[in-house]
Amino acid sequence: MRKALLAFFYFLAAAVALAFLALPILAIFVHVPPGRLIDQLSNPVVTDALIVSFKTTLIAQALILLFGTPTAYLLASRRFPGRSLCVTLVELPLVLPPAVAGIGLLAAFGRVGLLGSSLSAAGITIPFTQTAVTIAVAFVASPLYIRQAIAAFEAIDPNLVAASRTLGAGPARTFFRVILPLSRGGLAAGEALAFARGLGEFGATIMFAGSLQKVTQTLPLAIYAEFEVNFDVTLAISALLVLISAAVLISLKLTSRWQPSEQISPSRFARLSWS
Amino acid sequence: MRRRAVVLAPLCAFLCSLLAASGAAARTGTHSSTRVTGITVYAAASLTDVFPKIDSGPKYSFGASSTLAAQITQGAPADVFASANTTIPAQLHAKKLAQKPVVFTRNRLVLVVPTSNPAGIHSVYDLRKSGVKLVIAAPAVPVGSYTLQVLKQMGLTSVLGNIVSRESDVRGVLSKVALGEADAGFVYSTDARTVPGKVRVFKIPAWAQPKVTYALAVVSASVNKAAAARFIKEVLSKAGQKKMISAGFLALPKAKSKR
Repeated sequence: MRKALLAFFYFLAAAVALAFLALPILAIFVHVPPGRLIDQLSNPVVTDALIVSFKTTLIAQALILLFGTPTAYLLASRRFPGRSLCVTLVELPLVLPPAVAGIGLLAAFGRVGLLGSSLSAAGITIPFTQTAVTIAVAFVASPLYIRQAIAAFEAIDPNLVAASRTLGAGPARTFFRVILPLSRGGLAAGEALAFARGLGEFGATIMFAGSLQKVTQTLPLAIYAEFEVNFDVTLAISALLVLISAAVLISLKLTSRWQPSEQISPSRFARLSWS
Repeated sequence: MRRRAVVLAPLCAFLCSLLAASGAAARTGTHSSTRVTGITVYAAASLTDVFPKIDSGPKYSFGASSTLAAQITQGAPADVFASANTTIPAQLHAKKLAQKPVVFTRNRLVLVVPTSNPAGIHSVYDLRKSGVKLVIAAPAVPVGSYTLQVLKQMGLTSVLGNIVSRESDVRGVLSKVALGEADAGFVYSTDARTVPGKVRVFKIPAWAQPKVTYALAVVSASVNKAAAARFIKEVLSKAGQKKMISAGFLALPKAKSKR
């Protein structure tokens, strides 16, 4: 009897939770007929924001891969004093309110910020430019990649790396021929999450880069700007972002299926980072 | 921006009520203002500082009038809506979402630049210089539409090419200029007064000055219409109007202020 009651409770809780999570997403699609949603996608506000979003996110992703991969490898393969501090620093933007990120970026790279005077001496002003959007995206999205990459590197069997080295491969060759292929799944997962997070960036961008169509107005900023102008457009952009996010998640699940699941499991990393 | 206002407003109200309770009210003299409690007032961002001074009782949510109107349209629990123009409340009234709006104050648009004035701007016409970083509010926001009117009136539409950001409300414009990140922006004269020492203010010629008229109305969905009406009466009262004027708002023309 009690067992049945418990099972019923589990079922009920799951049903409530699933309905709660699914309802807002469904509502975006059923609020307006799909034909009208698709019509709205050709609205210049949407196409301009789409271009700005993809351009800035892709550049940010390239930078994240370029700088994040060696950083993650260093943090995964070496034990040094202050390592935990470094890991915490890398993870901090993940839990930071986006508005705080925006203020921090202004205080650092703004015209009157820490680096502002040296930057403007070099003829560079960052706020209100696509560079600012890219920086904001990189700042909030990179922790997702680096975290996952550390976990992926740590999951590699050290014996394989040692074997590669004893068989005569140099460190570079070992990295590109052994370590990277083995951690591919985890790196891809981190990259996909960082991409999705970057595409959704809002708070830091609106504070640090402002909002101007064709220049700094990304898809989420366009949702905010159009909310009071044309609700259908905001629904259309939202639907688009839901589809992109879903595509990212699904491709993630598909890739993880043919990778050992251990590689993208963050549990190992979580234990190490807070030890 | 709006979220910050939502958080700050109750905090301000709370602090004000503490002050009042601690006997500070005695110092302000005769008028023991009747506090209207239990209602939520959705008000234009430019009213952020003055409304809690008129009455610390209600909960306030400040933001762009256009954003607030969109929220009310989506069923936000507002009792009073105070807009920085007359068209948005009139539209809500036409849609039966608000009762008949009442004009309650006026304002003036000004050009502000950071005190350091990095772009060397000394009049609205200097905005034509190339490379000036101009920040204005989005066109749907009242202050944004007033700004476009001024630029059109002065034959300065070429200046639009210098816009680097269209902010979501007037305080967004103000903070970007006060921080020194933008070279210039258009705000209400009352907003410029809230950041003394941070910005320099340039007047807009009287012939190009738009008619900035504020109106407020009871929201139709309000469950506390009597208290909402009391709040409106308080804003229109002599004491309320005095506070508006001492915050830099303009008095209503005689004929209108009698209602």
